[in-house]
Amino acid sequence: MNRIRLNVNGEDREVEVDPRRLLVHAVREEVGLTGTHVGCLTGDCGACTVLVDDRSVKSCSVLAVSADGARLRTIEDLGTEDDLDPVQRAFLEEFAFQCGYCLPGMLLTVRELLDRDPDPGEEDIVQAVSGNLCRCTGYGPILRAVRSAVRATREADRP
Amino acid sequence: MSATATDRGTGRIGQAARKRDGALLLTGGARYIDDVRPPGTLYAAVVRSTVANARIRRVHAGEAEALPGTVLVLTGERARDLAAPTPYFIDPLVRGARRVDIRCLEPDRVVFVGQPVAAVVADTREGAQRAARLVRVDYDVLPHVLDAERALEPDAPRVYAEWPDNVVLSKSYGTGDPDGALESADVVVEGTFRSGRTTTAPIEPRGFLAHWDEHAQTLTMHGSCQNPHQLRWMLSATLGIPENRIRVVTEKVGGSFGLKMQGQPEETLVALLSMLAGAPVKWIEDRRESFLAGSRQQVHRFTVGARSDGRIVALVDRIVADAGAMTAQAGWAMPNMSATTLPSGYRVPDCRIDLSIVATNKPPLSAARGFGKDSAHLVMERAVDLVARRLGLDPAVVRERNFIRSDEFPYRTSTGLNIDSGDFHGLLDKATTSLGYRRWRERQREARASGEHIGLGLALELTPESSDSPGSFVSGFDTTTVRMSVTGSVTVLTGVTSPGGGNDTGIAQIVATELGVPLEWVRVVQGDTDRCPNGFGNFSGRSMVVGGGSAALAARDVRRTLALVGARMLGVPDAEVRDGAVVDPAGAGAVPVPEVALAVLTRSFDVASGVEPILESTRAYKPGNIDHRPDAHGRIQPYPTYSSCVHAAAVRVDAETGRVEIADYAMAHDCGTMINPALVEGQAWGAVVMGLGAALSEQLVFGEDGATLSDRFKSYLMPRAADVPEIRMEHQVTPSPYTMHGNKGAGEAGVGGAQAAIANAVEDALSPFGVVVDRVPLTPPAVLELIRRAAQEVAP
Repeated sequence: MNRIRLNVNGEDREVEVDPRRLLVHAVREEVGLTGTHVGCLTGDCGACTVLVDDRSVKSCSVLAVSADGARLRTIEDLGTEDDLDPVQRAFLEEFAFQCGYCLPGMLLTVRELLDRDPDPGEEDIVQAVSGNLCRCTGYGPILRAVRSAVRATREADRP
Repeated sequence: MSATATDRGTGRIGQAARKRDGALLLTGGARYIDDVRPPGTLYAAVVRSTVANARIRRVHAGEAEALPGTVLVLTGERARDLAAPTPYFIDPLVRGARRVDIRCLEPDRVVFVGQPVAAVVADTREGAQRAARLVRVDYDVLPHVLDAERALEPDAPRVYAEWPDNVVLSKSYGTGDPDGALESADVVVEGTFRSGRTTTAPIEPRGFLAHWDEHAQTLTMHGSCQNPHQLRWMLSATLGIPENRIRVVTEKVGGSFGLKMQGQPEETLVALLSMLAGAPVKWIEDRRESFLAGSRQQVHRFTVGARSDGRIVALVDRIVADAGAMTAQAGWAMPNMSATTLPSGYRVPDCRIDLSIVATNKPPLSAARGFGKDSAHLVMERAVDLVARRLGLDPAVVRERNFIRSDEFPYRTSTGLNIDSGDFHGLLDKATTSLGYRRWRERQREARASGEHIGLGLALELTPESSDSPGSFVSGFDTTTVRMSVTGSVTVLTGVTSPGGGNDTGIAQIVATELGVPLEWVRVVQGDTDRCPNGFGNFSGRSMVVGGGSAALAARDVRRTLALVGARMLGVPDAEVRDGAVVDPAGAGAVPVPEVALAVLTRSFDVASGVEPILESTRAYKPGNIDHRPDAHGRIQPYPTYSSCVHAAAVRVDAETGRVEIADYAMAHDCGTMINPALVEGQAWGAVVMGLGAALSEQLVFGEDGATLSDRFKSYLMPRAADVPEIRMEHQVTPSPYTMHGNKGAGEAGVGGAQAAIANAVEDALSPFGVVVDRVPLTPPAVLELIRRAAQEVAP
């Protein structure tokens, strides 16, 4: 077993993990945050996406030990039910999810996109979302939600 | 308790209320099956066969048992003594089909690669998986057959040695004299169509957590499943536990599309493992296991006859459907619906559809969105286009000349379906207008001049919904309890479940509207057999038809009591319930519903005297139009209502690479009254994109040994955001005369029409090459092959 240090959603945590432990399992089971989901364990679906040092990462494709010392941001830190992040609000208003299983990964992917570029072009949006699979929505509502979140951010930033 | 202004404006029938669990899902707070982890949980892994057809000689469990952390290893031999065969969701014998016993672990033989033969319980998930890999199985390998047409040959290997051949079901449908009509037709066109094997692939795989309480002698089964009551019945049958000692609880379901209908071996298996281990046992399917489930795979050989004006006079189709191995889940029966959904919404009285459902040594079919109806549309829409092409008519014109007219409903089709209502001409007009069909035809002409290949494809999709299959748990009714508390809060307990589409929100809207209270007073509880009335869960677009219908009946009962007592409190003869208050229609006063509820339940010998003091009602709703009494032709009518839609697609095909790009796409959709239009649209978009995947990229591929090669998302190519166009969506509303609110069911329509529209569009694009599209998926290699073959036929 290895002891690793993680800063998860602003809180310092120390957890014991098997060296073979995947980061997604460490987040879900050792840290206890189950909003990050497992869909494929092959790095294809994106349901397990979290932010590691501000970059979106498929946490099923990272060993927990290799994230030692990293800063993690998971869905639990994005917004609360009463105070949604603008990306979450846009997804709600555009009906951009159904079953919700791919949703945390999708939201963190979009959050990273907007953190890096608050005014991304259409191609950037499509490319970012294409790393995450959704079987319910057909993607149209998701793309509309991202565009809407971009507009909301732009309007909020207007002096 | 008060409603906010915005919520009040979005809570009624017909309004786009947001998903009620939205904030919970958005913040990662929703609980899915893998998030359920009671203390002391053990983990199961399934040992699966590595050969496609064999007798099991011996299972070696010793090494797995010796691994530290292993709690137990269960073999098929031992499981046979502990659990009875799984009862079928749709019993083959009722349908005149062959059956075999399906067990949670096979003791004697395996008939596909991936069949469960043993199971391991360990203290960690990884430990269980490690131990499962140590279980060795000795097989006497037998010859196997993977192709359904080959399986029909007399010398083919037998999937089930005790059957005389590999036919699960052989049946003919249709009426009239198709052979005579073909003889007198002006043109006769023959065609073949093959659909690839696809899978549903929800992002959350299946999973269960079973907890046998030895002290209480009760079994609690948490699951990602669509049919909790049927699952309870099934567990009772396989494990011999009385149903009243079993509780099935459905957690938040991360998508299903039919996959999580009950009847799979792992359900009994996980419950049995918990009983043996004396602890909660969890099993979560891994993605590779999830890819075993097949959705569809059929070969059609059809002949269609028409007059010179394009009117179709006869259809003959011979269907060979590859069921894979048999399953107790509903999946094996899907091809039956492919046969009976023909000839779709076209006026073709002379039809003969010969269906063979064939067993092969592939993994079984598992129920899938479309439930076989999708394949009927592929063939019918191809047939219509082939007629148009032969006669040099535009496919839109040929469709107009053959659609059942809106004044002909209810219309009984040749195969027996009694279509309740619709306006297919209206849908075609909406879809082609939305796409800009004529403008695209212009562009197509211009593009051809410059060597670019643009094609247009149309497809009608008729979706029979809210099925009732006689003698099965495919039920055409459901049951709901509406209960108001002393403070006026409303709990709705319903037998239908939601795999994610949002029918809980729709049902809340119906109850709020029918009861006359704000939406946020209403809470819907689903998927718990100890709390919800007996029901049948989610399938066949039924949840709003019968879940919504029964909820409305129950809400009206409660509303009547509120109105009666409220009127007495107001001192007026009659009162109405509106916006959370009982009001005098003459405007003389109002009393808030919570005050009336309090009066009913605390002043039952005063203002509520003579009134039964209960603000609760449980009602079942049976829609009209279903009739299981066979007519003179032996036809039954299992559906109350029929949704319909027309798809219009424009594609660009790169003849050098074979790549198909969807340039534009429109769908005109009619599911009758829409309870929540935003949720209807979401379902339709999702179904269309699932169909686009089946049309262009998705395919389960098997090695010669029968192993699934496309066992991950890298090789099973589901559409991603960059692959799909913005879909134009138009609505038409022809209310059903046979359902409570005129609604027809949404969620399945899209899968079949999208495949058909793309197939037709690709053929249209490649018509300069003389290409005939005879298959999906139209992957780049498949398109290149079609072009090459067409070139060989032109210049042999």
